Amino acid sequence: MSPDWTPLLLAAALGLSLRLAGVLLARRLRADHPMVRWAAAVAGATIAAFVVVALVAPPPAVAAAVPPVARAAGVLAGLAAQWRFGLLGGLVAGLGVLSLVAAYAAKP
Amino acid sequence: MTAAFSAWRAGVWAGMGPQAPAMMATFLAFGAACREADMPLSWMLAACLLIYGMPGQLILLGVPGMPGVLGATVANARFLPLAIALGPYLGPRGWLAAPFIAVTPWAVAIRTVPGLHPGLGLPWFLGCGGVSWGLGAAAALLGFWVAADLPAAARPALLFANTIYFALLIGADVLRPAARPAVLGGVVAAPLAILLPPAVGLLAAGLIGGTAAWLWQRRR
Repeated sequence: MSPDWTPLLLAAALGLSLRLAGVLLARRLRADHPMVRWAAAVAGATIAAFVVVALVAPPPAVAAAVPPVARAAGVLAGLAAQWRFGLLGGLVAGLGVLSLVAAYAAKP
Repeated sequence: MTAAFSAWRAGVWAGMGPQAPAMMATFLAFGAACREADMPLSWMLAACLLIYGMPGQLILLGVPGMPGVLGATVANARFLPLAIALGPYLGPRGWLAAPFIAVTPWAVAIRTVPGLHPGLGLPWFLGCGGVSWGLGAAAALLGFWVAADLPAAARPALLFANTIYFALLIGADVLRPAARPAVLGGVVAAPLAILLPPAVGLLAAGLIGGTAAWLWQRRR
């Protein structure tokens, strides 16, 4: 398949422009400037919203592969393990439990 | 060894932290999806290196033409607040770091660069962001080549590695008073991201939830 490269290059140029605009806009601002604090809050809220959406309403193909009970079990196991073993331990435990529950749920 | 080189090296190590395997799993799945969609390797690599924002990459893969460009740009509009929040720590030559600004290295950087000596934020981020950028492309390459051989049992972990990683990060952020309002704002506004079209939903939830959190913090 021979793809049309124009959309990719156009989207890449627009994405780089957004990044450059942000850096150039903020480079003379102090870290406690209201605009910088606002941007950090928006970025943090976007990540939190992304997690909620990915867990509660993932795309249909993903939802079919990983049922809600597996997603919930994975996150809860990850958070519990992170408390005791840190971020990497939480990640390993979360993904392990998610995979096990998803495999169990997929059994006929 | 100069302080800048030490900072760059520390950034490289930070870029290989726990977030790296989570992000790589997402890129591996993207590489496999490109292979399944019959896209050439060069297009897949260019999408990883030039777009370097997974929602935008996935939209470009699935939506052809100008609608794809618009969807990808709106979905990746979060680059702007990410860059503004990081900008003050990068110094006058911060534009050098622009291609590497994405959610994964940002989430690591915003916890580290405020504590660095002024002037060392840029080399640190070039190390961290550059490694994340390269690892993402390498994982996508691997996914492209081994797409047909990926075991079915590995699929759930690949699909949710990034989600679990960010869930753990925001779980930790809830315990930090400075970060808590933004997390709660994003969680409360998340239904918007479900109700609105995917390309604009997440942006709207972040803008509304983040602005509400910022206003609430200013009032206190």
